[in-house]
Amino acid sequence: MNALARRAAGLLLSTICLPLTALAADPQPTHEFTLDNGLKVIVREDHRAPVVVSQIWYKVGSSYETPGQTGLSHALEHMMFKGSDKAGPGQASLILRDLGAEENAFTSDDYTAYYQVLARDRLPVALELEADRMASLKLPADEFSREIEVIKEERRMRTDDKPTAKAFERFKAMAYPASGYHTPTIGWMADLDRMKIEELRHWYQAWYVPNNATLVVVGDVKPDEVKALAERFFGPIPRRDVPPSKKPLELAEPGERQITLHVQTQMPSLIYGFNVPSLATTDDPRMVNALRLISALLDGGYSARISARLERGEELVSGAGSSYDAFTRGDSLFTISATPNVQKKKTLADVEAGIWRLLDELKTKPPTTEELERVRAQVIAGLVFERDSITSQASTIGQLETVGLSWKLIDDDLAALQSVTPAEIQKAARTYFTRERLSVAHILPEEKTHE
Amino acid sequence: MSDRHGPRNKWLGMSAVVLLASLATLGVHAESATPDSTDAKPANTLQTLKELDGKAPARRHLNIQTWKTAEGAKVMFVEARELPMFDMRLTFAAGSSQDQATPGIAILTNAMLNEGVKGKDVGAIARGFEGLGADFGNGAYRDMAVASLRSLSAPDKREPALKLFAEVVGKPTFPADSLVRIKNQLLAGFEYQKQSPGALASNELSRRLYGDHPYGHPSEGTAKSIPPITLKQLQAFHARAYAAGNAVIALVGDLSRADAEAIAAQVSAALPKGPSLPKTVEPTEPKPGETHIEFASKQTHLLLAQLGIERDDPDYAALMLGNSILGGGGFGSRLMTEVREKRGLTYGIYSGFTAMQARGPFMINLQTRAELSENTLKLVQDILRDYLANGPTQKELDDAKRELSGSFPLSTASNSSIVAQLGAIGFYDLPLTFLEDFMQQAQSVTVEQIKTAMSKHLNADKLVIVAVGPTVAQKPLPPPTDRPADRPLGVPEH
Repeated sequence: MNALARRAAGLLLSTICLPLTALAADPQPTHEFTLDNGLKVIVREDHRAPVVVSQIWYKVGSSYETPGQTGLSHALEHMMFKGSDKAGPGQASLILRDLGAEENAFTSDDYTAYYQVLARDRLPVALELEADRMASLKLPADEFSREIEVIKEERRMRTDDKPTAKAFERFKAMAYPASGYHTPTIGWMADLDRMKIEELRHWYQAWYVPNNATLVVVGDVKPDEVKALAERFFGPIPRRDVPPSKKPLELAEPGERQITLHVQTQMPSLIYGFNVPSLATTDDPRMVNALRLISALLDGGYSARISARLERGEELVSGAGSSYDAFTRGDSLFTISATPNVQKKKTLADVEAGIWRLLDELKTKPPTTEELERVRAQVIAGLVFERDSITSQASTIGQLETVGLSWKLIDDDLAALQSVTPAEIQKAARTYFTRERLSVAHILPEEKTHE
Repeated sequence: MSDRHGPRNKWLGMSAVVLLASLATLGVHAESATPDSTDAKPANTLQTLKELDGKAPARRHLNIQTWKTAEGAKVMFVEARELPMFDMRLTFAAGSSQDQATPGIAILTNAMLNEGVKGKDVGAIARGFEGLGADFGNGAYRDMAVASLRSLSAPDKREPALKLFAEVVGKPTFPADSLVRIKNQLLAGFEYQKQSPGALASNELSRRLYGDHPYGHPSEGTAKSIPPITLKQLQAFHARAYAAGNAVIALVGDLSRADAEAIAAQVSAALPKGPSLPKTVEPTEPKPGETHIEFASKQTHLLLAQLGIERDDPDYAALMLGNSILGGGGFGSRLMTEVREKRGLTYGIYSGFTAMQARGPFMINLQTRAELSENTLKLVQDILRDYLANGPTQKELDDAKRELSGSFPLSTASNSSIVAQLGAIGFYDLPLTFLEDFMQQAQSVTVEQIKTAMSKHLNADKLVIVAVGPTVAQKPLPPPTDRPADRPLGVPEH
């Protein structure tokens, strides 16, 4: 729970050559190079166990999609398992399975990524297969006709039959009026119904090129061997221009918006979202780092303000949390969600008042040194804890690179967070927690629809 | 984020228990596998496959050390000096199978551990751990309850974190106001469950499979059983179930043996004194058949189950391999190939044995669109029936063994995976060589042994089935693809 809370706080918890010599952990050497065709490769050595993770990150996701074509990036991710020159449909997965590898892929607003975790001696197979589908994906029509049905099942399972997920999808569509972030990654059902294999072929041709990708390898490897493998398999793939892509920018103050959703739920709940910048879009990183600290003060653990006050002190909510991802390609959202404590007869209005009390206090009262020290201690420990997982390390590097930041940002992250002053935290709260930036969703049980 | 295939659904609330079972499906194997066999090469087009030497991969060597504390707690320790941190995981036979007449008391006790100790309320405890950067974790399942600590190993962090952890686990005060609040949160959870067809299905399945057996009720208790639980009952449960003799202490990290001994002694001394609790009794055979729960969803959730095995069943290795081929291994398993890849009926379908202290369930689970659910259910039953009657092919078995071998290094790659393995090995009294033993046994299993073991434990006509979804007119299934490109190799199947 703590680790999750930390994540939710948007504190970047990776590792590397940090100025953390006090922790007595040897930094792990990290190397970066770019092939002639533009493929960027980042290798981090972690020799604790003879295993390795390989991830390839493409700069394309649902925020790149246009109306009517939603869900293309995610559907293409599925079709990447359906055969290329050297492996027929589904074969690559079976080869990797036979080798004992874990493999999967994920799609988000900003990226599409593929990974394999496997014994170190099998890394060449993973890279050969990955390069092959970057260069020669087949996209057979008959495979697509079945796979799109699987994708619709995924949508039913993850969104349509999950009231909270469905509500959040609607909420996002409202909270991002100007940018592609209003598009759900899995796509609207109407667009899945009319998706054509030709659209996927075009999407693949447009974005799946070495100069639009980052290869991240973390584990028991040396940079020279990864470089040789990358050149051998990815090197021959030609560079090709990608379409222009623009950062998803939002209106700074779109105006207060509210949506009321009646879903198949027993419990009312609400979502608040404020339109705010990210590290990639801000002209003042100190304000973004202040927002990250605010997120940690609100929900950075069981001792943070939401737990301590709303959940335990006032017993206003049976559950609540805040979330802010500062590491997005475009403008972001600072969200707070809560379920009222119905056993104590609390209402959505009570919860809203409680949330505003927390936000107003951030504007008027500086946080205590003790609170800030606690956040700092969690960040420092988190930097070490994350190094226990090669997958976490690779994901942090890949995400930063793909949203237009550098993985080296982590080197200075602790210092950047520590340099934020209490006055700046208040200023950020006053700037961003306003009605003009706010979207509200009330999520109510269906029985009340006739009200 | 949207994954192409999500995490496998596990029997609700049992995730801590299935560690070794999932290890088995993910993998283990040794030198006796088919050496660099041609059947790993699709049309021989992959250069790198030819370059592999066919040997089992190297893995991290684990020097597992074990001893007992003065109070009788079993300690499992692996020294790992690479990172300046350590993980401690206490596992007690204090899961909901110990609830007796008070369903939910195990989870309530566990959730109340960090709500108060002498001189500290819940906020002070949280500030204590978080101010040190330490993570406290807890959870209760069917067989076991867990309390864990992850901390930096530097003494100025480690020592206060351990002191607080020992108090929290050993001397909780269970404040009355916290008890009311946590009960309310559990009650809110029950309301949430009503909107989750998966949770409804899982609870119904447990009831059908186990009836009045200690595994039969939900670990979280019920809206009826939670409110009357008293402080006295919690104290009594804690005194009995969190006793040192009922605990396994797993430790991994930047510690010497002497450090580990001191830490284990400190934590053990803080626990109530007492012996281990008696083993859960065996369940009786359930009545087969199907239950339908009406629910207004797009998909129907299907669970097919039977009683499976105990943790020390002699058929364990054969069943783990047999299940991996049937539906335990994701892509390439028979169920995934037939139901998803050839017909596009589901996002995921998995089967698994959850080996427990008493016979845990064998279960197949999937979701499919409501109008195809009845015919999909028949298809799944047919696949199972055929598999039990005929067993796997030699090639399927060879592939599964190779997979097991290849994935073994992954199971001990991180401190968090090692501490979980140690906890399970300790809790189920497995030998220290369990991982190696299992690999060796798995590599010598034959097709005939798998067929015999699977059909001894399972019967497609004795399934307990739960379906949660809407009642709608049923449609026929789409035809399967006639191009089953699901076998990478040119080697004929037997």
